[in-house]
Amino acid sequence: MSKTLNRRDFIKTTSATTIGVATVASGITLTTFADTNKTPVTNEKRWGMLIDTNKLSEVDIDGMVSACQKEQGWGSEVHSTGSQKPGWIKKLKVKDKATGRISNLALMCQHCEEPPCVDVCPTNASMKREDGIVLVDKHLCIGCRYCMMACPYDARSFVHETLSNQKEHMPRGKGTVESCTMCVHKVDKGGIPACVASANSDAVIFGDLYDASSKINQTLKTVQSAQIRADLNLNTGVRYSGL
Amino acid sequence: MNRLLVVFLSLLVGSVFAHTNEHANLGEQASSIKASGKVFHESVSIIRKMHPEFLRHKRDKTLRQGVRTDEYSLKGCVSCHANKNKTNNQYHSVDKKGQFCSDCHEQVGVSLDCFSCHRTIPKEGLL
Ligand code: SF4
Ligand code: SF4
Repeated sequence: MSKTLNRRDFIKTTSATTIGVATVASGITLTTFADTNKTPVTNEKRWGMLIDTNKLSEVDIDGMVSACQKEQGWGSEVHSTGSQKPGWIKKLKVKDKATGRISNLALMCQHCEEPPCVDVCPTNASMKREDGIVLVDKHLCIGCRYCMMACPYDARSFVHETLSNQKEHMPRGKGTVESCTMCVHKVDKGGIPACVASANSDAVIFGDLYDASSKINQTLKTVQSAQIRADLNLNTGVRYSGL
Repeated sequence: MNRLLVVFLSLLVGSVFAHTNEHANLGEQASSIKASGKVFHESVSIIRKMHPEFLRHKRDKTLRQGVRTDEYSLKGCVSCHANKNKTNNQYHSVDKKGQFCSDCHEQVGVSLDCFSCHRTIPKEGLL
């Protein structure tokens, strides 16, 4: 199969047209959104992440968490109590019982290929895009929270309070479930997730798992990596090395 | 019977279009576009009647298929139709009483729930 345009060229050619600002009348500007994605995403791609726990300090992981909060606008809820607070990405300590070795993980939605959260959803709100990104369609979410029960990674949270001043690209509201979107609003425009951007580019790699020329694909071929709870056979899109 | 139906229908349609007079709260950008003589919505009556369908269609395409064009995007509606409070230079929420969205929705007695999740004012630093 020959490709006429590789991903890098695609980004190069489209980034120039990403934000166009047209002057309509004096003092008024109309921002036109990027036209990068005019066609539906397909299953020719599968987005994924490889997180190298050896290369991430606790401070780096905290940085990833705050990058996510800043990008997506969660974390400043005032009325929610401890366990009600949203957590799209968490710092997790895991200890090897035999050796006592402790590693720190950044844990977010693993974007499972066989997502239990989608299986149990009664309204089809919990859904997987063709390119592997798992999302909640809040237009359909009735807040039953079955998906939160079904997720083995505790990756989802429920909004317990009335919100305002949400991010323009990330509608969030009381009574619906939410989780890491793999920064789909950026990815669809050729960008990378905020948490990935905040970390060292070798420590967290984002890319198309299917693309043999991508850094993530090539790295996965050479280093040892693992899925968390691989025994569940969910084939996660987020992988870890150095565990 | 038919005549009654016609009367009833015209009352119904009349109430939908009772608001054809100048919109009090068109919004900052929308007003400027209109004043400049440019046309944004080709047919005002179509956008008035059909915007719920347009938005619903668009929301599914964007969320489920990743199609991110600016046509019929709710962000676009909000950023164009929001008004500023002249005294403190802050935007009013488009769904607040007397603002663009609620103006008509109140008139025709519909209440909907876009804005418990969606941002009600233009993106920071847009204008
Ligand atoms: S990690 Fe949880 S929320 Fe994410 S796709 Fe898997 S089951 Fe669903
Ligand atoms: S990909 Fe985006 S939404 Fe997901 S954890 Fe990273 S910053 Fe948060």
